Amino acid sequence: MRFGTTLAGSYPKLPTRGGEVNLRVVRNRRDQGKATDQDVDAAIRDTTRRVLALEERAGLDLLMDGCAGWDDAQTYVACGLDGFRIAGLIRYLDTNTYYRQPEIFGPVAWKAPITVGDYEAAASMTSKPVKAFLPGPYSLYRFSKDLHYRDAVRASAAIGEALAKEAAALEEAGAEWIHFEEPWLGRARAEDAAAVRAALTPALTGRKARTVVHVPFRAPNPIFAAIRDLPWNTLGLDLVEAPAGWELIPLFPDGRGVALGLIDARNTKLEESAEVARLAMRAASLRPDLSYQVTPNASLEYLPADKAEAKLERLVEAARLAGKGVS
Amino acid sequence: MPRGLWTTTVGSFPKPPHLERARQEHARGELSAERLFEMEREETVKVIRRQEEVGLDLLVDGELYRGDMTTYFAERMPGFAISNPVRSYGNRYYRKPIAVGPIRRDQELTVSWWKFAQAQTKHPVKGMLTGPYTMMDWSFNEHYPSREAMAMDLAVAVNEEALALQEAGAKFIQIDEPAVSVRPEELPLAVKALGRAVQGLRAKTITHICYGDFDVIYPALLDLPVDMIDLEMANSRYDLLERFRAKPFTKEIGYGVLDVHSHRIESKEEVKEGIRRGLEVLRPEQMYIDPDCGLKTRTVEEAFAKLRVMVEAVREVRAELGIAVEQGATA
Repeated sequence: MRFGTTLAGSYPKLPTRGGEVNLRVVRNRRDQGKATDQDVDAAIRDTTRRVLALEERAGLDLLMDGCAGWDDAQTYVACGLDGFRIAGLIRYLDTNTYYRQPEIFGPVAWKAPITVGDYEAAASMTSKPVKAFLPGPYSLYRFSKDLHYRDAVRASAAIGEALAKEAAALEEAGAEWIHFEEPWLGRARAEDAAAVRAALTPALTGRKARTVVHVPFRAPNPIFAAIRDLPWNTLGLDLVEAPAGWELIPLFPDGRGVALGLIDARNTKLEESAEVARLAMRAASLRPDLSYQVTPNASLEYLPADKAEAKLERLVEAARLAGKGVS
Repeated sequence: MPRGLWTTTVGSFPKPPHLERARQEHARGELSAERLFEMEREETVKVIRRQEEVGLDLLVDGELYRGDMTTYFAERMPGFAISNPVRSYGNRYYRKPIAVGPIRRDQELTVSWWKFAQAQTKHPVKGMLTGPYTMMDWSFNEHYPSREAMAMDLAVAVNEEALALQEAGAKFIQIDEPAVSVRPEELPLAVKALGRAVQGLRAKTITHICYGDFDVIYPALLDLPVDMIDLEMANSRYDLLERFRAKPFTKEIGYGVLDVHSHRIESKEEVKEGIRRGLEVLRPEQMYIDPDCGLKTRTVEEAFAKLRVMVEAVREVRAELGIAVEQGATA
């Protein structure tokens, strides 16, 4: 059996080697009036190029651009949609990282491509396929303050429709994979099913690209019945922090994929590749008919860059060992 | 005559730009540790003076000598290593602690700073520590077999430092646990660890908590074994009060009335209104009025402008209610 390899979100922006462009320094210089916005844009491009090259060197077969220009996982996209404005800084779940909270103050609507330029730039930097990154519509709703709809289903549906248009624009630009980041699916309860389905149905339906719904931090068991029949291609499970996700693999619909989040993106301790391979093979033995990717359980940006790089190597080695049936 | 509505702050104050530059120069080896220490002491004296001038009742040392609230302690404790920078938001990064061996306290961590600050003023100065649960949750762990094992070793270390602060004369000891609110399922662990951290303390104990899912953790939050829980109120538009109405808040409260994430200086009227709303469900003698969180992300000017408004608002509400002004009565 073959195990694919890919990231599960953004990637550290800082370089690990001297002489490489340091986006943090360039942004600081811009803030001090010593560099321009164009300098920052160039540093974002250089960072993206470096991250893609690093993924390629490590041997990943499906790359992500690392979200070099994003301040957090929500506002980059929310800022580009009608109906949103950005408010105060608040903590991003239990990660000790922060995001600026989007506020829905009017009807949410897509007006123009937001991430397509980034996708095209990344795709032009590598010959490997690039998986586009979008916030999941349900999580974008849950991370936002709804001052307009004041109704979870209507607000979620509006966001789902808007992100469906962004996904279509990405497909138009050639994206064959689209990742929807959905941490709130791990916190949703059965009574949230209507809002979850209202958000995800438009975003996933009719997609030409293969879609990944990625659920970091917690397992989506309580809501799985509501999302099981939605047309996603791959469901990403955090099997490090949320072992309950193992229970879902036997329940997957036929023909789907599992992104096995087996590399801990929230701890510096390095995994043994053979142990990760053993777990990947265990998953495959539960449902040999599904397709599998080995991934981090979350964005590797929770780690310092040196550790993220080391984890990438372990991840690729684990997938290689699992593919050979060695652990 | 009723008492209450004392004024304080949550802990950190902004570092003036020249001190930030000095810290960077020190990190690059361009400024000696001695010179940086001198500058930190000079600025700490200024922060104490300015708190007195504004009219606060219960002071802090301002933490101008600290970087991140976990890393400062981890850098001084065996068992911890410090990571390369990790991003917290946008272009902000911090170096995160890594547990690499058994964690313990083998030196004082804050006591000499507390003594120095207290020597500058007749007002009481709070001892300020980061709690064991938060230290654990905000660190990487390469050593301990479980989160509980790590939290409980940290609790012992924090307890030793808290007892040393008490021995030095601290009447108020604040042990911040901002991470408590984001993993409600681990609240029992946080309660257990904080209980160990405050063991043997006679000083008034406080914990600060911000953000988080209060729908889930309130009223269980009241199980935290401290005298006072400090909460952000303004940032959430005082919606916690509805929960207090349903289930009374039974401890003393640090009642946040200033949004520390906003550059805007609050009006006196809105702060007074926030306090009045609190008084509908809380007693004045339960309430210590303060900002929502540490002020370190604001400029020095913004921080003190906000505090001036806060203190004036409190004075007017005190006058309206006939609450005694008791200079130093909090000690």
